[in-house]
Amino acid sequence: MKTGKLGGSLQQKLQVLQRIFGTSGDFYTKELAVAGIPCAIVMFTGISSPEKLCHLALDMLDRDPVLFGGSQGLCDYLLTQSRIPAEPNPIEDWTTLVEMLSNGMSVLLIDGCDQAVAFSTQEMPQRSVGTPSGEGNMRGSQEAFTELLRNNISLLRRQFRSGTLVAEIATARTRAKTEYCLCYDSALAPQQLVETLRERLAQIELPVLLDSAYFASFLKQDKMNLFPATAYTERPATACARLCEGKAVVLVSGCPYAMVVPSFFAEHFECLDDYASGAVFAGLIRLLKYVAFLLAVFGPGLYVMAVSFAPEVIPFRLLTKLAQAEVSTPLPPMLEMLGVTLLLEIVREAGLRAPQSISHTVSLVGALIIGETAVSAGIISVPVLTMAAAATIATLAVPSLYEQSILFRFAVILLSGLFGVMGLACAALVILAMACGSEPFGYDYLYPLMPLSRATWRDGFVRNIWSALASSGEVIGSDET
Amino acid sequence: MKRDRPSLFAALTVGVLVNVLLRSQSGYWPRAGAAAALVCVPLLAAVGWLFARAWDLGENPLLRCLFAALLVYTSALELLRFWHLARRLYPGAVSLAGVCLMTLLPVIYLRRVSAISQTAHVVLCLLGLATAFMLLTVLPRLHITNLQVVALTGRDYAAACREQLTMYPEYLLPALWPERGNRSFRPLYKLAAMAIWFDVGVHFMLELFYGAALPLRVDPIHAAARCGALSVFNRLESLQLILWVMAITLKLALYLYAMRRLLKPEGKKDTAVSLGSFPLYFSGILLLCAFLRKVDIDIAMQARSAVTWGFVALAGIGGAAAWLCRSVKRCC
Repeated sequence: MKTGKLGGSLQQKLQVLQRIFGTSGDFYTKELAVAGIPCAIVMFTGISSPEKLCHLALDMLDRDPVLFGGSQGLCDYLLTQSRIPAEPNPIEDWTTLVEMLSNGMSVLLIDGCDQAVAFSTQEMPQRSVGTPSGEGNMRGSQEAFTELLRNNISLLRRQFRSGTLVAEIATARTRAKTEYCLCYDSALAPQQLVETLRERLAQIELPVLLDSAYFASFLKQDKMNLFPATAYTERPATACARLCEGKAVVLVSGCPYAMVVPSFFAEHFECLDDYASGAVFAGLIRLLKYVAFLLAVFGPGLYVMAVSFAPEVIPFRLLTKLAQAEVSTPLPPMLEMLGVTLLLEIVREAGLRAPQSISHTVSLVGALIIGETAVSAGIISVPVLTMAAAATIATLAVPSLYEQSILFRFAVILLSGLFGVMGLACAALVILAMACGSEPFGYDYLYPLMPLSRATWRDGFVRNIWSALASSGEVIGSDET
Repeated sequence: MKRDRPSLFAALTVGVLVNVLLRSQSGYWPRAGAAAALVCVPLLAAVGWLFARAWDLGENPLLRCLFAALLVYTSALELLRFWHLARRLYPGAVSLAGVCLMTLLPVIYLRRVSAISQTAHVVLCLLGLATAFMLLTVLPRLHITNLQVVALTGRDYAAACREQLTMYPEYLLPALWPERGNRSFRPLYKLAAMAIWFDVGVHFMLELFYGAALPLRVDPIHAAARCGALSVFNRLESLQLILWVMAITLKLALYLYAMRRLLKPEGKKDTAVSLGSFPLYFSGILLLCAFLRKVDIDIAMQARSAVTWGFVALAGIGGAAAWLCRSVKRCC
């Protein structure tokens, strides 16, 4: 592609643009004269509106009776004196020109002038602001981010009406030149965090950037750690709450999910409803979520370990029932549990990827027919199926840790099935060490849960009443204790 | 929430507390232990503090290698002690290879100081909860009438002192941590006090439980745990293995980090053990465990304590000599 400074001759500039975009059907050029000076308008019709341009600039230019004093005079007039809302900085090189056109701007090329003027006439097809599909909440704002970066910034700014909100837009080092925006509260976010994040994001080189999650792996300190260093939200309200905690939010053009940095373990168990409902109920629900996570990860493994290695931990009457069920199946409990868990994951994946019209059928066939048939045929036992189903449902109580729950569950089943209590201990410690060793930008991942402090009971395992929370707003910072 | 230098005090505490819980035999009568603790706590703390000063003054490659060797040997002994204990309590349930594999594997994820520090806080909480839980289950079986009223002899006090003055590497490790210069006596005193008074407390509970039979019981804590009066919970005692594995792995991770500081002194600002050193570490520990598997673990532990005392004396002499040389040079 052509790089370097724009030339002076209008025809040469148009020829270059023709060479670059000539075969594109949506590339639009129109030569015209402004105050007798030959000019040309260039734009992409799908993302920029010629009508908007007429209303904004061309009508006004026709009415302006001023003599501009040559090509450069016209350019200076448009940039500094005219009432026409042109972009404040002139375009001086080909890279910027192409970038502006790709962003949906209309550009006025002037004969004999080595600068061009851009007009913000974007008119992109876009999805309207909808409700969040993956973050269910009963209370609070029901707005969700969309794919358009500017819209997302405006949604955020509408929630966060403070002069300290900074939204730094930059272009990622990708082939598609995707834009992203780093948002933070300049009064609350630690400077070191913002600087490090800005620097790391600028260094990331990717072939394509379609989601904010692409950045996540680059921001991780320990690549072997499965816990995420970042969290995602599709709610501007949640992003706003995180900004108030001094965290940074990264929005990527084309992605309706905001990435929150740094993210702590406890955040996965919080939701907007926690703060809208009573403290006691919210605390109970939060504790239930922790129990659900433990059940999702350790439930099947614990079952395998208890049945295979330590039957004494099971009450006698229950043990009799389990033994009866296990005797009638040909596989050992570990393989049985692994098979059922795998099957459930396949059903889930199929239901998710299949066309919506048949996804219900997939779920029905998977859950009812295969499950029922397998039990009737004596291939798997009812207790195994019950435990696997309970663990799968428990996983959905903490959807943001879904990937981790599934991976950990398989590891726990394998280790418990092979090594018994020792295997379970090993798996538990590996998971614990991963959580403890994850240091998103140097912050304790388990904060405020561990080490135990007042913060643990203020907004950790449970939530305190609003009057207590309001008196001590939680902002990330340093602690050298 | 953000720490440039995470504290390893919790990890050291877990290390010393687990020594008490994994003991195979009671060491003394609680009354003698309480009296001895008054002397032993400040003595151990003072030794740890003097060692740290001496280490600052007189550390050299030979001492570093000796300390690292001591830590490797202690790591292997800890694994073997755990294996012996697990074998006694749950015959046939665990093999040495299984114990080594399951205990060493999580060390990979405990290679960072922050991970050790945070995990230690969690394990400490779990340890506290488990101890309280066990106490709750055996509470109906604790009888005041079991307390012994016979007069204690000098031998009893000597036994308590000998037991409490067992030198564990945990008392020496703070000398290796980076916060030189602002090293104080207080954390070491706290550590020694927690370890010894916890030990005395456990012995007191055991005396309430066993009475005069206390010195005769093998694995008294675990035997008591199995007699829990709450029928729902006493079945869960095998799950205590989980907690032991956690505590021992944490100890091993702490020792490994200390070894890394000893053997690579040039990278003292690093706060993690590199992944590259793990194959050597794993194979070394496994070989050592296989080599030592038939030794009498109680004698080996006593010998380790004696060697550690010897090492402390050696480091002390080295430090004193270095201090003397510097003083003489300054005077000249």
